[in-house]
Amino acid sequence: MSDFLYRKNKKFYLALLLPALVLYGGALVCPLLFGTLPYSFLNWNLMKGKRSFTGLTNYIRLFSDEKFIHAVCFTILLAVISILFSNLLAFAVAFMLDQNVRAKGVIRSFFFIPNIISGVMVAFVWSFIFTNAIPNIGQLLHIDALSNISWFGNPRMSMTAVVIVTAWQSTGFLMMLYVAGLQTIPKDVIEAAMLDGCVGLSKILKIQLPLLMPTVTINLFVSIAGAFKSFDIPLSLTGGGPANSTQTIALNIYTDAFGAYKTGYASAKSMLLFLIVAAIAFFQLRITRKREVQM
Amino acid sequence: MIKNQKTFTFIKTALCFLFGLLFILPVLLIVMNALKPNGEILTSFISFPSSLYLDNFAQAMETMNFGVVFKNTVFVTVCTVFLSGTVSFFGAYGISHLKGKASDRFYILFVLGQIIPFHTVMIPISIMATKLNLNNTHLGLILFNSGFFTAFGIMTYVGFLKTVPRELEEAAAIDGAAPFRIMMQIVFPLVKSTSVTLGILFFLWTWNDLLLPNILISDGSLRTITVNLYMFKSATNAQWNLLIAGLVVSMVPIIVIYIAGQKYITSGLTAGAIK
Repeated sequence: MSDFLYRKNKKFYLALLLPALVLYGGALVCPLLFGTLPYSFLNWNLMKGKRSFTGLTNYIRLFSDEKFIHAVCFTILLAVISILFSNLLAFAVAFMLDQNVRAKGVIRSFFFIPNIISGVMVAFVWSFIFTNAIPNIGQLLHIDALSNISWFGNPRMSMTAVVIVTAWQSTGFLMMLYVAGLQTIPKDVIEAAMLDGCVGLSKILKIQLPLLMPTVTINLFVSIAGAFKSFDIPLSLTGGGPANSTQTIALNIYTDAFGAYKTGYASAKSMLLFLIVAAIAFFQLRITRKREVQM
Repeated sequence: MIKNQKTFTFIKTALCFLFGLLFILPVLLIVMNALKPNGEILTSFISFPSSLYLDNFAQAMETMNFGVVFKNTVFVTVCTVFLSGTVSFFGAYGISHLKGKASDRFYILFVLGQIIPFHTVMIPISIMATKLNLNNTHLGLILFNSGFFTAFGIMTYVGFLKTVPRELEEAAAIDGAAPFRIMMQIVFPLVKSTSVTLGILFFLWTWNDLLLPNILISDGSLRTITVNLYMFKSATNAQWNLLIAGLVVSMVPIIVIYIAGQKYITSGLTAGAIK
């Protein structure tokens, strides 16, 4: 029966796939393969209109482009620091919520809401906090140092601001994954450890954290991939400034492509970003698959 | 002993609650200050509003052209959710019913799409949109966004369709139901929770989107809410009272949707990341 049905309906099933293939192919696959990839070998300025084939020149230029190298470095710095903070915080909160606590739903929402509002809104909320609330608190407490911080005036403070806001936004999502991970640890393992006198910090470090390693790996990759796509927050918080100090890779591509119309060159940068993100995803798949086999 | 434990739970809950409140404090401060006149905001930021002041909202909505923007956003969002949801369900149904290698290959094709960041295709997309006359149209936003979301939608639906027993469909086929009817009347109701999850996520992603509408739409009367908020900052020239009122108005629908669909959002997002 099943085989007969299958033969009869095979065309119907294929037809169902058609709209998805058209939309998905038109929005992602074709632009990447027939747009970004060939463009990256062209010397092409969209405003001037001339195009000529230049081979790998665009890619070679990347390595001497100081602005781009700075953008790559800042993206990595942003990734490392914000990942560290948001993962530590997310784990701490998830651990707290794993205990005997009431109103878990409400408390979880407090941490998760920053994650569902857009980067623009998050950035505006914080730029208000940085420029108004913090100086105000400084005045109230008579701490001049606090009220005189110039958050967006110098590179170091601007970078700090972008890192704080990025970590604040990503914490909620990581916390959810940690909460889900902690729930999968069997209760009897923990009880056995506690009977053997393993409590407090050593219980966390020696029992729960090792058992949580799959979640930790996932979270690290989720946050790394997120950091490499970071765009909304630096754009709306600092605009990449001052002096391009807070420009991420994505923001650098955007300004080159839509500010300077360097279509060919920006495409080469896009391909590099794609390769980085694809490599991260590839490693994630390999590592998580391996772990599945072990457990 | 029991009483002790109860107080302990209470203290822990209170501590967690306070910590959470501290975390979300920036958002609360914004809402609080949106209810104050500009002078009061600048002098005492962290005080409670002395009276309920709603002029900021009225003025912001007017400056932001909020009526038009809100209509645009709702239109684009609803169409995107509907189109990408339908296309994902159809595609996933096709994949899960095809047999052999073809099915696997299609599935992998869509899973791989999740890796491609939007920033790597934004240049060809803006060029393509100009060629296809999709610039400055809501249709362009809807089509491209649906294309991006389809990869995630298909992945989620396929995972869930595996759990639907085939015997149901076979029984319906024996009774003479056409394949399309089997899909819509037998299978679709069974994956309702997945549909709600995807619907809410697609809603949030469209509502929050900055880059695609920023690239495609230059006409102010066609703008969607997040881009409008972004443009609003330079237009108001740091008139904080207006900006935060606009910010609150833009955030409220999202937070309402979140509270309504909390369960679905978290389950959908965590499942997507773990897979």
